[in-house]
Amino acid sequence: MAAAKKKVTEILNSVYKDGRRELMELESKQVLAAWGVPVNRTELARDLSEAVKVAREVRYPIVLKIASPDIIHKSEAKGVKVGLSSELELRQSFGELINNARTYKPDAKILGVTIQEYLPPAREVIVGALQDPSFGPTVMFGLGGVWVEVLEDISFRLAPLSAEDAREMIQEIKGYPVLAGIRGTPPADVGALIDIIQKIGQIAHEFSEITEMDLNPIFAFDNGKGAVVADARIILVESG
Amino acid sequence: MASEVKAIFEPKSVVLVGASEGIGEGIASPAFFYSLVHNMRRFFKGKIHVVDLGGKLKGGVKNLNQVPKRRDLAVVVLPSKLVMKNWRYLLNLMIKAIVLVAGGFNRQQQEELARWVAKRKIRVLGPNATAGVINTSKGLCATPERDFMPPRGGVAVISQGGAVGMAILDWASFYGVSVSKFASTGDGIDVTEADLLEFLTYDKETKVICIYLESVRDGRRFLGSIREAMKRKPVIVMKGGTARDKQDRIFAASLKQVGAIRVDNVEELLGVADALAKQPPMQGDRVVVVTNAGGAATLVADALSRKGFALAKLSDKVAKKITGKYQDINIVEWVDLGIDAKDDRYKFVLEQVLSDQGVDGVVVMNELKLSFLKPVDVQAIAEVAEKKSKGKPVVSVTVAGRAGALLREAVKGKNIPVYDSPEKAVRALDALRFYWKTRARVEKGV
Repeated sequence: MAAAKKKVTEILNSVYKDGRRELMELESKQVLAAWGVPVNRTELARDLSEAVKVAREVRYPIVLKIASPDIIHKSEAKGVKVGLSSELELRQSFGELINNARTYKPDAKILGVTIQEYLPPAREVIVGALQDPSFGPTVMFGLGGVWVEVLEDISFRLAPLSAEDAREMIQEIKGYPVLAGIRGTPPADVGALIDIIQKIGQIAHEFSEITEMDLNPIFAFDNGKGAVVADARIILVESG
Repeated sequence: MASEVKAIFEPKSVVLVGASEGIGEGIASPAFFYSLVHNMRRFFKGKIHVVDLGGKLKGGVKNLNQVPKRRDLAVVVLPSKLVMKNWRYLLNLMIKAIVLVAGGFNRQQQEELARWVAKRKIRVLGPNATAGVINTSKGLCATPERDFMPPRGGVAVISQGGAVGMAILDWASFYGVSVSKFASTGDGIDVTEADLLEFLTYDKETKVICIYLESVRDGRRFLGSIREAMKRKPVIVMKGGTARDKQDRIFAASLKQVGAIRVDNVEELLGVADALAKQPPMQGDRVVVVTNAGGAATLVADALSRKGFALAKLSDKVAKKITGKYQDINIVEWVDLGIDAKDDRYKFVLEQVLSDQGVDGVVVMNELKLSFLKPVDVQAIAEVAEKKSKGKPVVSVTVAGRAGALLREAVKGKNIPVYDSPEKAVRALDALRFYWKTRARVEKGV
């Protein structure tokens, strides 16, 4: 725990030092990984040759995302390619991604791209955290996509929370049957989600400088196969 | 800290401060001051000192320095300006706690009060604690509402708003819900809901704590004090201003997390509080309906089903015992005693169904129309319910409004809650079940 705390503090400090409040995806995932939250393998590649090398290690298919501290909404910047299955596709996409980013935000500082492990399709959920002015660190849970955006089908609990609290907040949403398994589909790995929710609660409780966390999406695999964070965003309070 | 909060509810000596002159309308007007003095003289069992800055009130003194020092509590019915003017003299009296009834303190004045509170060993309730403080067991009736003293019982009420607090007490007496303590917290510059909760948690008179909030102050501490209280007694929360409050979902979730029971309106608050004060928590979902009107039981069954309860199936042994004694009793989905059922039938059947292992709680229906039942017969039900011998709750209900009032009157002061609609009775059982479920788990978490 002490080591994890030290590691996270280091990352947050370096972001502040850089004059930023928003962590890049890579940094956010480093924070999560330090706390034992499972994330898909995500590596930075500064140029094409590095990308090719890293992609071989990560193994195809891969996900390619733009890496820039100035571009938080990567899809909006057309900075994401999912499921590239060969070096050829990687070579074609790399330049395109960089160009898209430059068009989207000409003055953006571009570090390169991240090469990420591709995750097979799964049920998608969202876990978030925020600092409530009255109640302090609070954790949010919901199903991905339309469930959260349109139906506002989300549940809350104060952090830190017990496993029982986390289980309740999962079962509380209207879309819960989707996770429990309907029409013969096996249940999702709720235990793995409970673990993630509790850990996010711990992080939010431990680091008051984190004002917002958004793990979206998290891939919830079938029971026994775990859950993995595919994208994450962490925002800090103004330093000082 | 606790001893000063104690001085608010359990003072041995009280100083009442107001002015019979020089103040116009409003809560600090002479009329309300007189009412406060009247109430205290009529009900309070301890020592009273009256300070009337106007000098007209009989038995009062004109100056604060004429009052002996180190009294427990001062209740001040003065407008903000006069409070500030006399504040030093008040502090000089070395009083443990002060209730400031009037509001209208500007920020600067509030900050000045808060500074003094921090410096001296004193607690302040208010300002704007317009409904004052009540402790039925000590005859403390420090409220400007004349002759307003609720019957003594187990329900404590904390209210941020004075008017809503009074409305809760008003409905409480209407429904025969009896009260242990009451306080309005107003602007809460010092004593907060959490302070009072901590005191009431260990108060022997209080069986249930009800809180009405308009805004949450220091949410974490407030929730922590609810969690602590829940280990000993149930806490019911009603919140106003939720329509404007986007954060209400977080509030709702956090209440759930600490096991508090949330209600939406005053009637629900009192219905639930009454059940929690008078009956044991419910350990399961299986309910027996005992009725003298079959048709009306249908409505109870519907209400039960909507809240996820099941109609209990009586064991053969118990069913036989009942029909062995009363051949015309019809046991279907519910136990139909027939329209000529009187107290003996109710008593016998209730004792039997409570002894059944497959029963977690009982709804007793008492219809007075088209039956031979009289309100007085309900005494027998109260007698069985009061024993709580099996640790199972019993609630009484009629579908009719006027009958509800008659039944309540008949069992006034007895430990059986009486409702005038199936929904209210079932909501009460729901709260008793919720309390049972959450009590165990509130001991861990946050």
